Amino acid sequence: MSERRPYVRAQPRDWWARKPYLGYTLRELTGAGVALYGGILLAGLISLARGPDAFEGFRSFLSSRLSLLIHLLLLAVMIWHVVTWFQTMPKTMPKLIAGGQHVPQQKLTVAGVALAALCSVALIVLVVAVGALS
Amino acid sequence: MTPRPVPKRSMSPVFWLMFGAGGMLSALFGPALIILTGIMLPLGLGVPGRFGDYGHALRFAQNPLGKLVVLAVIALFFWHGAERIFLTLKDMRAGALPVLRLATYGVAAILTLLTLALLLEIGF
Amino acid sequence: MSDVMERTKTIELRVLRYRPVSDQQPVFQAYQVPYSDDMSVLQLLQSIKDTQDGTLSFRWSCRMAICGSCGMMINGDPRLACNTFVRDLAPNPITVEPLRNFPIERDLVVTVSDFVKKIESIYPYIIPKTPKSIEAGEYLQTPAQMAAYESFSDCINCMLCYAACPQFGANPDFIGPGAMALLQRYNGDSRDGGQQLRLDSIAGEDGVWSCTAVGVCSDACPKQVDPANAVNQNKTKSALDFFLRFIRPKAQAAGAKS
Repeated sequence: MSERRPYVRAQPRDWWARKPYLGYTLRELTGAGVALYGGILLAGLISLARGPDAFEGFRSFLSSRLSLLIHLLLLAVMIWHVVTWFQTMPKTMPKLIAGGQHVPQQKLTVAGVALAALCSVALIVLVVAVGALS
Repeated sequence: MTPRPVPKRSMSPVFWLMFGAGGMLSALFGPALIILTGIMLPLGLGVPGRFGDYGHALRFAQNPLGKLVVLAVIALFFWHGAERIFLTLKDMRAGALPVLRLATYGVAAILTLLTLALLLEIGF
Repeated sequence: MSDVMERTKTIELRVLRYRPVSDQQPVFQAYQVPYSDDMSVLQLLQSIKDTQDGTLSFRWSCRMAICGSCGMMINGDPRLACNTFVRDLAPNPITVEPLRNFPIERDLVVTVSDFVKKIESIYPYIIPKTPKSIEAGEYLQTPAQMAAYESFSDCINCMLCYAACPQFGANPDFIGPGAMALLQRYNGDSRDGGQQLRLDSIAGEDGVWSCTAVGVCSDACPKQVDPANAVNQNKTKSALDFFLRFIRPKAQAAGAKS
């Protein structure tokens, strides 16, 4: 056999920024948005534990323009999380067979996003209802 | 047929399941939570302005069910983010894996304990 | 059979060459190749080898996207050369490189042996749930039962999914999408009883847990096998098994130490 000298090409360090991987990286970064929002909630909890004055400080931050901007950005990130979550989630399930054929993953994605919209709307309606009745 | 040596079991399932729980919770209720806590409550839109005041927030956090909700949301959102940030940093080869784990899972663990401690301090 | 179409146009093919005896590293070589609109990139390579440069090496066999031999990077995407048509890429120059994430043996020929070992490692045969003698007759299976694993049986071992997968690129020991598709072909077969054995073989860091659900493996697959589904549904199974193993009856794993 002739001389073998297999050549190993190194994976580029920035592969995650090139096509077709950038979309995946952006999808994963929505997780950072989720964690950041959790951080805002934690900040609220810390203020709550420190007492009424600290909590009022937190509340006045929440009514600021900066907070509104941050929350709108986080909302956009969260919505992208919802969409990409239900695009990915069907991959983690065994193939669903309905009527002898298998259900395309796209259908599960649409169903999932619809469910998420329903849940979020329901939660808002619940809070508004409790507020109206109190 | 002789079974081959079985590879060492990975601990990933623990983090993956928490990532999944946090991901599902945030997917289903995340947008509503952001709209409520970030827009509607602070600006008094659609809900009475007093709903977000110290008294109401305290009563919610003192309620056992309320505590569970707050713990679940904050902790799972952190663990979800931690797994994804860890894997993204790993993709980017941002550092040694133990360091990355400490910076993500470690921080999530500390913040989870902090949340628990605060909820207990607030009392019932 | 003679060419029906005359090759009136010319296209440039930039091929990454590598000759282990003489080259320190791979280097691009450009060829001007006459073509007609019915030709595939494989035919361009064959034209070069037949008429311009007999030293150009590449694997091919069936010319019809079923043998899995001619996988390579064409304009940066993992493709079967026989299934990629010049008319879709012309008139711009076409860049051809060996399949990404694999060591290069020579020119467009990559090392396949590790992949073969991975295929062999997941018990790629039916381990009957309830063994039957020939006299007892066939194992019966409904169309719905076959639909559950059918796509995974369509894999032609072309390795395009491995070239697409960046986690395999980062970790060559990752079992990878193709081997997982074959694993699921058996684990999803109603006749098979070897699920636990195979699940145990992929419960490690180099098993399913190297996957981060990038998903491009399924996009690259020329046979709609959906290896991403094979890997990720086994993450769910592996995760549940991680906790449920404590209540599992010990006798289950066929012959293996529990």
